[in-house]
Amino acid sequence: MTTVLLIDDSTTMLMSLKPILTKAGYAVETANHGKDALDKLGKGIKPDLIITDVNMPQMDGITFVREARKDPGLRFTPMLMLTTESDQAKRAEAKTAGVTGWLVKPVAPDQLLGVIKQVLPGA
Amino acid sequence: MNALLAQFLAEAADLLTQIDEGLLELERTPGDPELINDVFRAAHTLKGSSGLFDFPELTRLTHAAEDLLDAVRAGELPLDSGMTDDVLAAFDLIRGWLAHVTGSESLPPSAAADAAVLITRLRTPIGGEAAPEPTTVEPGRVPAWLAYVDEEWLAATAAWLRTTSSQMRFVRYVPDSGCFFRGEDPLHLIRQVPALAHLDVIEPIEWPADHDEYACLIGFVFAARAGAGEIGYLFRYVGDQIEVADLDGDAIQRYLSGETGEALKVAAPASGDDPDLVTEARAVLAAALHALTTNPTGSAHLISVANAITNAAHVLGDPVEIREPDVVTLTATVTRLLGDTPPPEEPEGPGSVDDGGQVGSRILKVDQAKVDHLMELAGELNVAKNSLPFLARAAEEEFGSRDLAQRIRDQHAGLHRIAEDLRAAVMDIRMLPLSVAFARLPRMIRDLGRRLGKDVELVVTGDDTMADKDVIEALADPLMHLVRNSLDHGVEPPGERRAAGKPATARITLDAIADGDAVLVDFADDGRGVDPARVRRTAYDKGLIGAVESRSLSDADALDLIFRPGFSTAEEISDLSGRGVGMDAVRAGVEKLGGTVTLRSEPGGGTSIRLRLPLSMAVTQVMVVSVGGQRFGIPVDLVAESVRVPAGEIGRVLHQDVVVLRGEVIPVVDLARVLEMPCRPDAAADRAIVIAGVAGQRVGLLVEQFHREVDVLLKPMEGLLAYADEFSGTALLGDGLVLLVLNLKEVLGLAARVG
Amino acid sequence: MPLELGDTSATLTGVVTVDEVEPFAAWLRGTAKPRVNLRKCNHLHTGAFQAMMRFRPKISAAPADSFLAGLVLPLLEGSSGAPIRQESDPS
Repeated sequence: MTTVLLIDDSTTMLMSLKPILTKAGYAVETANHGKDALDKLGKGIKPDLIITDVNMPQMDGITFVREARKDPGLRFTPMLMLTTESDQAKRAEAKTAGVTGWLVKPVAPDQLLGVIKQVLPGA
Repeated sequence: MNALLAQFLAEAADLLTQIDEGLLELERTPGDPELINDVFRAAHTLKGSSGLFDFPELTRLTHAAEDLLDAVRAGELPLDSGMTDDVLAAFDLIRGWLAHVTGSESLPPSAAADAAVLITRLRTPIGGEAAPEPTTVEPGRVPAWLAYVDEEWLAATAAWLRTTSSQMRFVRYVPDSGCFFRGEDPLHLIRQVPALAHLDVIEPIEWPADHDEYACLIGFVFAARAGAGEIGYLFRYVGDQIEVADLDGDAIQRYLSGETGEALKVAAPASGDDPDLVTEARAVLAAALHALTTNPTGSAHLISVANAITNAAHVLGDPVEIREPDVVTLTATVTRLLGDTPPPEEPEGPGSVDDGGQVGSRILKVDQAKVDHLMELAGELNVAKNSLPFLARAAEEEFGSRDLAQRIRDQHAGLHRIAEDLRAAVMDIRMLPLSVAFARLPRMIRDLGRRLGKDVELVVTGDDTMADKDVIEALADPLMHLVRNSLDHGVEPPGERRAAGKPATARITLDAIADGDAVLVDFADDGRGVDPARVRRTAYDKGLIGAVESRSLSDADALDLIFRPGFSTAEEISDLSGRGVGMDAVRAGVEKLGGTVTLRSEPGGGTSIRLRLPLSMAVTQVMVVSVGGQRFGIPVDLVAESVRVPAGEIGRVLHQDVVVLRGEVIPVVDLARVLEMPCRPDAAADRAIVIAGVAGQRVGLLVEQFHREVDVLLKPMEGLLAYADEFSGTALLGDGLVLLVLNLKEVLGLAARVG
Repeated sequence: MPLELGDTSATLTGVVTVDEVEPFAAWLRGTAKPRVNLRKCNHLHTGAFQAMMRFRPKISAAPADSFLAGLVLPLLEGSSGAPIRQESDPS
């Protein structure tokens, strides 16, 4: 089963995205911020795809991606960033950190599943 | 140069100045909403007009600047000096491009690369596309990377595209070498391209021995029928890594037979002194240098850069050989080449104004008010000059000097010639060729023809005929109506034409010719013509005419019905000709200019419409008189003379005031009475009478006072006065007063009724 | 398992991801006359494709997947792949 790791400090966001993914047949893991996600990854979660928010307490999304890419098991994992219109400027920085692509909030279900299909072969 | 392009260049120069001034003013008074609005509007207009021409980089760059200004205007972010610099730089770049366009009607070869840098900078503050838009190869240009595509497949595709007159979208996608480490899988992305037709791979010339499997060293070229938007969306995260070229069968065929390809490939060898080629080669090198600094990885990429450098070096007469392209060698080579070859001297002489030069250098835009003032002065010069014959007569009669009188007459003759030339020259400033009014028609006919499935050929003659600017401008709308009507109602579908024994391709002719002080524009199609019987029926059905009239009308008069408001010959109103806006709009438009419209038609043989317009609606010479304290104008060509006669010499014959002048009895009309102006003439004072010739008859017009003769710009009557037939138009005088110009024929008719 | 590596032939099944790239490339590098069966392969990661472009294995069975069969296979069997042509085809 394809596993997706969702990282967002907003529970509302997690609650809105998780059912979409579950319904589409993905296994979903969640984390509340970058550090939380790194902890969970250290405990053996093996996501096929990571979707992370940008602005989060403790560790922001870009730093998380930069850190996660250091893990040999996550070198090639597609990582999508959830952005708002206003932090579009951060995209260049995010790409350098290793982000595959981005999703602009609010994310419609079709759009979310479409992008996952686009970046994840065999999804 | 195409007249439309010339006008765009002139307009662009203005807009650029406005933008510059506005931005600089904004630095002094930051945040002034008026100023921001002005700058935004100028940029917006420039973008809009640029879209009419094939300058995609210009449109994209202006668009980026406009978006930034729009965000500033909406108060989303303040305009800081960095942004101002970027916007100024963008329009400076555009100014340089336009200078190039003035000389060569194309953007410089470096435009795409230069624009890309600025677009990214302009879009950064508004968070635009962080991934730059994919580079689009300019239309018709075959990119060098087409060489990666299988030739056999290309040949077959070219043939197919030619048969179907369609295009194929070619995309080169060179992922950067680290792309796998961002979770990218280029082949997976390509798999998702809709309507993918062909795929080729760009391999490194030599695989490095210690090849890291995770470095992406290959690139792809693929062909698809996917929409530009679909490709753009799919590749949105990697937009800077793709280049798109839309090619038709002809372009591919030319490429296959070696006729085109990158301009540099076919350049004369080792010339080194053709300034155009050197400029282009330098642009290629600069672009290569830029590419090396921004994207130093990806060996397929390096190979294409190396090829470009080799070609450019060849052109510069300094051939280099690059065996194993790597960033360091390439950068060194480019830097050396750029350093060794000085940019070419600015070529001198007309026709090749370039970067930093003036835009549209041979066109001077002048405020119309200044031209009008000039015209007024020329008119006054005429009046002043006209006093010389009186002076000559005085010299002879009062001072008894025939010699002096003769010299004054000679001076007058000379002055007269100059004054006339001056007047003609001023009028000429306002003259434009009719090609300006015709400029949009070919495109419109093509587009409408395609939409309606009708094949139409446009033949234009005499489009170099000149007419006044106002006439040209006002002609645009009526002409567009005529084209719509003709394509909609006149021209038959190809099948119907063939059945009628006509060529499938219809022909619209547009013929302009000067006829004295008028210009005739003949618009004709070889369509089905207008059937007078059907016109009668339709007009009757619509209640435009009664039953009696419908029977008594001659065919010619029946055809004229189609100019009636609310008439439309088509049984169903199509989306082209609109609703009830048709021939009546044409006639109204032309008559407003003081022109006429006539229509001739042969059922089955086509329709021809003649527009007759004043060559210049501009200048009428009028004599200014005052009546009841108000000034009026009388067209000078009707005025024979002006006389002052003692009140007692006005006689009365059969209820008609008359004056006897050199033995001739001339009826006198009191303008004050006719125009219902209050007037209590001093009984003892001399009477001022203008003797005019109207319809072959001499008539005296009693006025209060004569003033000078002036040249005026006669405007048609509008609003409430539009129904006042006794006036032919209004004119603005130099002192701001509006002068009503009399229509003498109507005035005399009115006089007869008033008695 | 997407990747089955034998002595001279490999079978790729389903989606070949980036994880298979390194072992697959190493196998290609170390095998004299490699043969690759793509019949059940649904997708090749670009890295795996790149490795095949470099080492030019003989394709012993064409993929059923239409994208791979129609657009990628011709490249793998392309003109510069002299080694493929020289080998006799047992089938």
